[in-house]
Amino acid sequence: MAGEGRKRRVLVVEDEDNIAIALDFLMTREGYEHDRVANGSEALARIRAMHPDLVLLDVMLPEVSGYEICQDVRLDPTLNDVKVLMMTARGSAIERRKGMALGADGFITKPFELKELREEVRRLLGPGEAEGRPAGAG
Amino acid sequence: MIERLGLRLRVLLIFAGLLAGALAALVGGLWLGWSRQAGAGVVPALELGGIAAGLVIAGLVVGVWYLFDLNVARPIDSLASALRARAHADVASEMDGEIARYLGDLAPAASAAAQRLAETRNALAEAVARETTRLADEKARLETLLSDAPVGVVLCTGAHRLAFYNSQAVDLLGTGAAPGLERNLFDYLHAGPIRLAHRRLIEGGEPDAASDLLCTTVVGARVLAARMRLLAEGGAEPGYVLTLRDVTSDLAALTSREALLSEMLDRMRRPAANLQTLLQVVPEGEALPPDLGAAVRQEVAGLAAAVRDLGARHEAGRSEGWPVAFVRAADLVDGLRARIEAAGLPVTAEAAELLLRCNGFELIALVSRLAGQVAAAGLAAGFAVSLDEEEGGAMLRLSWKGAPLPVGRLDRWLAEPVDPGGLEVTGQAILASHATEAWPERHGDRACICLPIRQARRAGRRPKPIARAVVYDFDLLSKVRNEKVADSRLEDLTYVVFDSETTGLMPQQDEMVQLAAVRIVNGRRVEGEIFDTLVNPGRPIPPASTEVHGISDAMVADAPGVAEVVRRFHAFAEGAVLIAHNAPFDMEFLRRAEFAIGKRFDNPILDTVLLSAVVYGQTEVHSLDALTHRLGITIPEEARHTAIGDTVATADAFLKLVQILKARGIVTFGEVLTEVRRHGRLMKDLNG
Repeated sequence: MAGEGRKRRVLVVEDEDNIAIALDFLMTREGYEHDRVANGSEALARIRAMHPDLVLLDVMLPEVSGYEICQDVRLDPTLNDVKVLMMTARGSAIERRKGMALGADGFITKPFELKELREEVRRLLGPGEAEGRPAGAG
Repeated sequence: MIERLGLRLRVLLIFAGLLAGALAALVGGLWLGWSRQAGAGVVPALELGGIAAGLVIAGLVVGVWYLFDLNVARPIDSLASALRARAHADVASEMDGEIARYLGDLAPAASAAAQRLAETRNALAEAVARETTRLADEKARLETLLSDAPVGVVLCTGAHRLAFYNSQAVDLLGTGAAPGLERNLFDYLHAGPIRLAHRRLIEGGEPDAASDLLCTTVVGARVLAARMRLLAEGGAEPGYVLTLRDVTSDLAALTSREALLSEMLDRMRRPAANLQTLLQVVPEGEALPPDLGAAVRQEVAGLAAAVRDLGARHEAGRSEGWPVAFVRAADLVDGLRARIEAAGLPVTAEAAELLLRCNGFELIALVSRLAGQVAAAGLAAGFAVSLDEEEGGAMLRLSWKGAPLPVGRLDRWLAEPVDPGGLEVTGQAILASHATEAWPERHGDRACICLPIRQARRAGRRPKPIARAVVYDFDLLSKVRNEKVADSRLEDLTYVVFDSETTGLMPQQDEMVQLAAVRIVNGRRVEGEIFDTLVNPGRPIPPASTEVHGISDAMVADAPGVAEVVRRFHAFAEGAVLIAHNAPFDMEFLRRAEFAIGKRFDNPILDTVLLSAVVYGQTEVHSLDALTHRLGITIPEEARHTAIGDTVATADAFLKLVQILKARGIVTFGEVLTEVRRHGRLMKDLNG
């Protein structure tokens, strides 16, 4: 459970390595505790095990789509407090609507400005340990 | 009793009686001569006997002639007249058997023949009437079919003149000149591609070949996709049928997509190339110098902005130019209900008053299949279908009471063909072609599958149906044109018959308040080609004039002005002979507007007053009422003194006058003009 005074945990579900590297860099700089899964089929188990505060979830994943993972998270009552921020390269209004309908808390379209992503992550996680990130970051 | 004897026996008896009478007269004469002149000798006795016998025989012959005339010759004449009347004048009454009662079986036989003729004629007339009705029904059905065809259809002669058009063609060919039979197609469409396709098909020599072409309207520059096919008739220059479809918006969408693609490539090529160069100058593993790093950041920012911007523009224009018609939401939902019910599943359905741009057939197939799959998965036993307006488009929901559907399972169903063996396309492909998605969600206390439809608009009331009609005269396809008007036969010319109602009777100071015209093509008034409009005269209409034609100031308040109406009339009348009853009066009003419209009325002109004078002489009254009365034309009271009522009456009178002129050997337009000038010396002829 996310609580005041501890590091926020973020799980990145992304199959593209380059983006994953960038996100890894950003999460570290932002002071979040984070991990990454590259395959949709492993994502749900990892979410249950890690119980992150936020899942950065790509829509287009091999084997199991981001939508399916999002819905599974929302249908699991033990994961009620897990926020989901979906990322897609297409990002039409209808896809956004679909993502939100399936329980996403946010939707961001690639390519995104890191600033934009950072603000969206902060909005979803709220103030917490990550706010006290190392000086000079960001 | 004698009537019971046969005709031949009666004739035999008459002649036997004549013979017997003659013999008796001879014997009696000889006896008389012998007894009276016995002392005077043989010769005087024979003379007296001969004279007496001769007189008696003459009397007998006259008597027999009288009987024959009365009972044979006259009845035969009567019978012949009666038969002729039945043969040629369609007299159907039964023949009078009394007229030939002494002619034995002749009268009954003639009567039977006449009766049989009448029966045969009636049967033939019935058969013709049946066939005529059938053909008229078929013609009406074909006309309906062609008038409702979703494409414009025109038939042209080899000289590119219209012989048929439907109302969609009228819409497509655009404004400008009013459409009309015998008009040149190139008044509406630019000639180049049509001439080329026509030539190509003729030279190809393949009777079933079709040629696809793009052509442009003369007015409005609409781009039409057309298909041309030659007609069998027409010899070396056969006519053709042209189907037309407006592709202006398709082309605009295509052009816009092409432009977007080009712009996309341009905006990505440069930063991609720059990035490659920037990164190649730094050996792998070494840190980027600050200036190179700034340059990379700048290029990446440009690239990302371009992708975002172009992606948004692509998204916004995704369903533009999509060649799919609007479907009523209620019709879509009804179709869905029917399909789901046919699968034995209970369903309720409701739809907002919307028009949706979608492929209704595909969506019905997809959603009804999903309903079947949801039911088969045990998630639902009954459904509700709804279609609501949502975020500028519409949302189609298939809902049920029960557990929600996992999106993964929905995605797997969408990856399957919608109707194996029928509609092989997958659900995913249908969604992609509609630029949309489908997903499960909860809607109130129900689970549902949502399927947004991007383009929807409020339906409102169904528009008043537009009277759709086809206009044609297929005889035009085989008509040989004579380019010289004076040498043209009267029925070969195209006429525009017109009439105006005015504010008064002084052409120099009054103005038109109504102008109407009809076209006569190929000797026939074309029902569908009518010009009829009120005119705003720009001045008050005197009450005395309103009394005559019933047109008041209020009625013309929103009507177009004189110049606009005359401009449109000029286009309507282009290439035709103008006809009016008392043409100088009406022409004066038109000619006064020539300066304003920048065009002249140089059409040949006929005046039915002058034609009436040619036919009936100058001493007769030549008013329209008198002329139409003489020609047996009735003007309905409500149409009298309306421009269109008088125009139609004038046109019909003209067509009848043409027949009378033809019977008098006046066949060509030039001959009519000569006659008009001879008879109309006291009247003004406007043909110079």
